[in-house]
Amino acid sequence: MKVTWKDIGTVPNANEFLDVVLNRTQRKTPTVIRPGFKISRIRSFYMRKVRYTADGFTEKLQEIVDSFPRLDDIHPFHQDLLNTLYDRDHYKIALSQLSMAKHLIDQVSRDYVRLLKFGQSLFQCKQLKRAAMGRMATIVKRLKDSLLYLEQVRQHLGRLPAIDPNTRTLVICGYPNVGKSSFLKSITRADVDVQPYAFTTKSLYVGHFDYKYLRYQAIDTPGILDHPLEEMNTIEMQSITAIAHLRSCILYFMDLSEQCGFSVEAQVNLYHSIKPLFANKTVMVVINKIDAMRPEDLDPVRAALLDTITADSNVEIMQLSCHLETNLMEVRNSACEKLLAARVEQKLKGTKVNDVLNKIHLAVPMIRRDGVDRSPFIPEAVKTLTKYDPLDPNRRKLARDIEAENGGAGVYNINLKNGYMLENDEWKNDIVPELLDGKNVYDFIDPEIENKLNALEEEEERLQASGFYDSEDEDIFETEEDADIRMKAEWIREKKKLIANENRSRKSLRNRAIIPRSKVRKTLSQMEAHLDSIHVDHSEVTERARGRAAEEKAYEASLEEGGVDTIMREAARSRSRAPDSTANLMQSSRFDAGLGTKALRAKADRIEKMHRRERNRMGRAGEADRHVPDIMPKHLFAGKRGIGKTSRR
Amino acid sequence: MAVRAQFENSNEIGVFGTLTNSYSLVAVGASENFYSVLEAELGDVIPICHTTIGGTRIIGRLTAGNRRGLLVPTSTTDQELQHLRNSLPDSVRIQRVEERLSALGNVICCNDYVALVHPDIERETEELISDVLGVEVFRQTIADNVLVGSYCALSNQGGLVHPKTSIQDQDELSSLLQVPLVAGSINRGSAVVGAGMIVNDWLAVTGLDTTAPELSVVESIFKLQDAQQGAITGSMRDTLIETYT
Repeated sequence: MKVTWKDIGTVPNANEFLDVVLNRTQRKTPTVIRPGFKISRIRSFYMRKVRYTADGFTEKLQEIVDSFPRLDDIHPFHQDLLNTLYDRDHYKIALSQLSMAKHLIDQVSRDYVRLLKFGQSLFQCKQLKRAAMGRMATIVKRLKDSLLYLEQVRQHLGRLPAIDPNTRTLVICGYPNVGKSSFLKSITRADVDVQPYAFTTKSLYVGHFDYKYLRYQAIDTPGILDHPLEEMNTIEMQSITAIAHLRSCILYFMDLSEQCGFSVEAQVNLYHSIKPLFANKTVMVVINKIDAMRPEDLDPVRAALLDTITADSNVEIMQLSCHLETNLMEVRNSACEKLLAARVEQKLKGTKVNDVLNKIHLAVPMIRRDGVDRSPFIPEAVKTLTKYDPLDPNRRKLARDIEAENGGAGVYNINLKNGYMLENDEWKNDIVPELLDGKNVYDFIDPEIENKLNALEEEEERLQASGFYDSEDEDIFETEEDADIRMKAEWIREKKKLIANENRSRKSLRNRAIIPRSKVRKTLSQMEAHLDSIHVDHSEVTERARGRAAEEKAYEASLEEGGVDTIMREAARSRSRAPDSTANLMQSSRFDAGLGTKALRAKADRIEKMHRRERNRMGRAGEADRHVPDIMPKHLFAGKRGIGKTSRR
Repeated sequence: MAVRAQFENSNEIGVFGTLTNSYSLVAVGASENFYSVLEAELGDVIPICHTTIGGTRIIGRLTAGNRRGLLVPTSTTDQELQHLRNSLPDSVRIQRVEERLSALGNVICCNDYVALVHPDIERETEELISDVLGVEVFRQTIADNVLVGSYCALSNQGGLVHPKTSIQDQDELSSLLQVPLVAGSINRGSAVVGAGMIVNDWLAVTGLDTTAPELSVVESIFKLQDAQQGAITGSMRDTLIETYT
């Protein structure tokens, strides 16, 4: 959940708003229009302007509305705080006015776009546009006050302290001038103004501190006077909001010395009147300024009054003095402790805690597995090691210091060999070759490598000899079938190799074209010979081929007597030239293909003719052509010239 | 002593360094800042060695070691091996391991006495681990993760495991390792505790993002600076419940 609203964009005032949107329309839409243009073009030109402006307004308005927090979506504490500071109704009305304006502008744009559709002339359209924009501007101008208010709210909202309503919180409250702010100042680093007069603190202040590894927030509230809730002013209501809504530990501050200007009775009465707000919270009464007055020194009447606070509930009373800084931490710690205990108790009731049970469990070995000693190994030197202190003048010189002296990171290169532990320190920086005589030096770095290798090889030989590697069930027993398949596979492989070789040797194509295999003509006898060579029975195939050849011949003969739907112009011509040619052209005429009737053919012809016509036959000068209206305008060249008029012309 | 540090803007300290009771390895970086953090803490007690493994800086994930030895993956070059041999004391055995799971730091998690390993590690590697590091080896998973080295940080004093490890698993692992264990996170909620920190018997280095409660758990479980392990269930219990929920 959001706890700060520092990122709301500035809210422009009404005039700036208008300028921004209208300016944008002017910049981002076309600006040139002439009365001679088509009326549809003029209309769309102005419609675009109207629409664009309306979009600009609505977009901006929506942006503003969205950037402010919705009161229903935020934590009740913030909801109430915003209510006290900015007045809930005012705030909601301002925002709703903005979104209302958005709707109105939409409406205007829709109406005028509709009217523009019927615009008859440029002038008419222009007037409609002017009217539309004028109405939108009026709507926005009416938002002047809301926009001003929202800008102020934005500026104030961004400066509110980041109070997280769900975290561990101490709320410090009490009468004005009892030392609330000085307590906050002394337990946190918050820079709160402390002054010796009432209502120094006029809003909530937050400070943070750590206790038991956890981050706490302490909230300093403005002082409260003892009067009914309805009479409280904005400053006091902020305190009430914080007390009422934050799940926290309440520290109720009291000043028994009455230096604050309020009597003990008044302070006790205030406690009793705001007590209903402390339900379900841990409460602690803190008596401040014990340097001036201790509770023990109180007269009996006032002491009895003070006792009424502790009488009914388990409220603890603690004492401190911000002035002498006594007891500060004790109060803080016991408050934190109480709060933490309450929160943990609350959490243990929930189900979420089941997920963390394993993390607060310390698993200790149940049984000693064996008698082995598994003690930690900490060198003696660790115990005498002095802690590194960056302020100590005799501190150890670190690698970082050396680096900084030598030009810093990126310039200085460490010498990796500095830390070598060798028999002789002079050897440290010796250069060891990686390769020598074509051999990797590191393979021979071990002086006994030769012996080890020999030993390994011997062992290997021994193992081999003793049959360690022989596996028993190799496929010795091969069936006859397998052998047959193996033989055939061998033969196929051989054959494939032969074919490949043959093709490779046929590479001497020179410049002839490579004919695809499917196009190469093979005679029947060639096929017969090949099938014979691979021992395949081919009687059936040859018979079929012969039969088909005979059929084809008969068909051609029949065609010569008069074909029906094939055109054989080419063939006829070629036959007249070479009557023995067998290559007939048996294809339908492409010219008439796909055209059923004569009419269609005629239509196709007509279209074709149209397409062949020269482009722009009747061409006239258009607006795209370069046009110089008058090469020598008379008024610029005629007439007398006085002195010094040439350049002006 | 538990300290926070960064290696070149990365919080995953366990990726770029190895820390044992007798030596420490640090990746070669652009600056000496991380090295100096260790140097300031360790002084001259144990050698700190700059190194790369197979030319990379992720040495913490590629190597596994303890007081007695160091295992490096096959990708280690001869020069790097020689450099390590020269830089580390002779009492530390260095061994290159031919293992398919070459990120040894991810698959092995060990102290000076026991090691947890990835369940799929080869048998030869397992033998090497027990020979070189002198430890008992157990094939285990942590919270159903096979990468035991990534999800467990272990010293002779105690161990930190994946934050989702069940209580039963913790008890079993603890009996196996014979050290106290606790489940927890590091680096502001990161579950990869092994890769997020380095630890030995008297020093832990965690990422800079580690929160105060996380660091206090680390200090207690590894018994750094006289912290007591009982604190986790005792005085720190409320703090932990408050931070985790």
